[in-house]
Amino acid sequence: MTDIPNEPWFACLPPCEAHVPCGDGRHIVRWEAGALRLLSHPDPEGELVLAALGGDKARCVEVAQAWGRHAADLSVLAIGPRGPADEIALSWDDVDAAAQVGARGPGSYGPPRVAPIRLASPSIPTSARVQAQRQRMEQEMARTTQRRNDMLSLLALGYGFQVRLIGQVAEAHASPPDDQLAGVRPPLVAAISARVALAAEEWIGIDPDQVVVSLHRGPGWGSVELTGQGGQRRLQVSLPAGWLGRVWAAGLALAGRHLVVAVQRGGWPDARVLALRGPGTEPVPLEVHGRAPGPVSGGLDVRPGPADAPHWEI
Amino acid sequence: MNREGAETYLRLLAEALIRGSLAAVPGSAWAEGPADGRTRMMAVGHALTAVGALGIETLEDIVADFDLAVNVRQQDQAAGREPRGGAPLAVPSSAVAGVLSSAAVGRWAARLHPARSAPLARASGLVWGWREAAEAAEAEDLANPETPDRFVPVGLSLPFRQESVSGELYLVSFAQTGSGARFIAAWPNRALARLGMLDPDSISLEWLTVTDDRGARYDLALVPGGGPGWAHVMSVWPPPPQDIRWLDIAAPPGPAVRVRLERQAPDAGDEPEVTEARLSPGEHLLTMLADRLLTTAPESWRDWRRQRAMASPGPLPAMTAGLGQIVAALEAADVLSPLSPVPARLAALCASMGFGGHGIAAAPAPDLPERWLSLLAHYQRRKPGMAPVRDGYAAVAAALPELDGIRLALLGLDNTEGCSSLHVLARGMTAEGQPGPLGVDLDFPLSLWLRDSGGRWHAARTAGRHRADTECVVRLRLVPPLPESADSIEVLAGGRSAEVRARLPLRWGCPT
Repeated sequence: MTDIPNEPWFACLPPCEAHVPCGDGRHIVRWEAGALRLLSHPDPEGELVLAALGGDKARCVEVAQAWGRHAADLSVLAIGPRGPADEIALSWDDVDAAAQVGARGPGSYGPPRVAPIRLASPSIPTSARVQAQRQRMEQEMARTTQRRNDMLSLLALGYGFQVRLIGQVAEAHASPPDDQLAGVRPPLVAAISARVALAAEEWIGIDPDQVVVSLHRGPGWGSVELTGQGGQRRLQVSLPAGWLGRVWAAGLALAGRHLVVAVQRGGWPDARVLALRGPGTEPVPLEVHGRAPGPVSGGLDVRPGPADAPHWEI
Repeated sequence: MNREGAETYLRLLAEALIRGSLAAVPGSAWAEGPADGRTRMMAVGHALTAVGALGIETLEDIVADFDLAVNVRQQDQAAGREPRGGAPLAVPSSAVAGVLSSAAVGRWAARLHPARSAPLARASGLVWGWREAAEAAEAEDLANPETPDRFVPVGLSLPFRQESVSGELYLVSFAQTGSGARFIAAWPNRALARLGMLDPDSISLEWLTVTDDRGARYDLALVPGGGPGWAHVMSVWPPPPQDIRWLDIAAPPGPAVRVRLERQAPDAGDEPEVTEARLSPGEHLLTMLADRLLTTAPESWRDWRRQRAMASPGPLPAMTAGLGQIVAALEAADVLSPLSPVPARLAALCASMGFGGHGIAAAPAPDLPERWLSLLAHYQRRKPGMAPVRDGYAAVAAALPELDGIRLALLGLDNTEGCSSLHVLARGMTAEGQPGPLGVDLDFPLSLWLRDSGGRWHAARTAGRHRADTECVVRLRLVPPLPESADSIEVLAGGRSAEVRARLPLRWGCPT
């Protein structure tokens, strides 16, 4: 009936800003048209070169790097918010505290180290193998620590950035080649399930555990059918991965008691969407108009929360 | 096998648990606490890795994401923001700083010290360490894979007096394989205590002499960590030639006892019976889970009836609470047929034990395997303060036919401090140290039961092991303990492909 429009996935998303503690002050990080912009750092690449030569790396730059590292990381879908009611409000103090604990090294955590078993004359190959294995573990530990710190920093940017990153990740995997489909389908199915189930609960009052999602591929928007009765009732939903970025991330999952399944003509603040009045019905085009509280302009702790998300009206 | 279905199921389970945390509805999984949700995740994940439907790396990634997702939300609640529809969980303010890293650090630590019981612990080559690696290399040099196996029940007492201590060393059995020769021996703990040698690693056996029928001498050495309690593995070095007839073992002040090594076929009981089984991976795992439940019961419920009357929660209800999800996950992975009778039996077992809330969709089966009923009957008729079995040992030795690639040889039984143990030599085990769901030992992937001469069944559960080269001496705890009145046993070892039954006579001895 309709194919994905030939416009960017973020067409319905307005710009979004957050203050980030950086150096001695707080700087504005801005998301706009699918990209992160560091308003106080006109030459981030140059700063990276200086940092490589031993200088301090600005936190804004670190955040932008983290954003780039995780722009296709499916873990973002598993960790990030499931909806406006699922606010993850980490502060930068939380991020700093976690980073300090991590910086103490692995010995700070977990079970105490067991004294190494002594051997009178360990063979060189054995010793080298153990050392190499230990080095691999330490490298993996360092990667894991950085990944965690990255995630916390990205979450600290606030709900508005969180949902935009989810949209970007989903879009990165919206059309995987066939040979990679089996690898990305489980996290994508789980990610859509988590979010559409909450929307469906609000839409028709169904228990989220009764929503069964599959990944739609090919032409058309997918399908939404209600089957069974009572405890066996199921809402069978088939949506493409792009639904997460184009619809859900834009706050469009529900509009005027309709479940939005696709964007027909993207734009901010006006767009046209395809929406279902009920399960099993044909989608109808709806003209929607978005309202947002406006750009961040308040105090230093301001960051976009769910209340700052766009609100759409028919 | 549907690996994608397995991964999807686990990810959807994580989503359901996180969704429960958002709703915080009393009675939901999350209302029982975040640790309970993680426990369920791990149990289902381990079930899927156990049957090969999910890679351990994938499980680690999913759990790491789940942990992070949970902890950032706990931090939110700890900061005073109420979750939708409920009060915040009591989480220390250091949740982010301390707990966020637990998955990553746990993974790291588990790999450094895989023998520890970290949630995601799995053994790798590091589980042995340098000493074991060197021993394995040495054994590899000297092992002779062409050597025929020899398993001999011994059942002899060797009196000794060493300095001011005297006692008896009990030789239970002798086993010789391509990897070497060893005795299973039993020391009364009190004798060791008097010697101040409770650490068996520190015991020297130089005061024992071993001589064969040709006058050749051998050294005995306690295998480090070769056995808890008073049953130990004593290696014999060098391995005796196959054609010697006996070994004389002497301890001061003497005399020597003679261990006859000729094949003892007439004494080894009937030939084992092998029956084809054809269990799916899921069915076999559920069978081992049932064994696990049945053997955990005495630890959890010392007084079965009183606990039932008090409806007191314990580890068993927690274990059974996730069974329905494990069954569903195995079905999603296509390793368990929806028509399989095993989930219904598991549901009936839970019902017999008085546990609801297991979540198994299948209706309880009308009948249960005889051995399960025997154990259930034992629990239900057991009286508090029942006299424990007396300390003793039973000489028994026999090799069983290969089962799912594992060759088992029985090396002896002992009763110590009210517990019975069966010692077996296992070859062909992979020993990856991969944790199984709800404590199932995946490195000993067999269901092993004994029926005593009185007709009562006893379930076996791994309680310790010592690995050397490609072999592993495993101590299996028997539930309930085996009484000395049993003069024979029927061993039932069940794998995926077949069941093996062997009937063996027992020769009991008691320490003095």
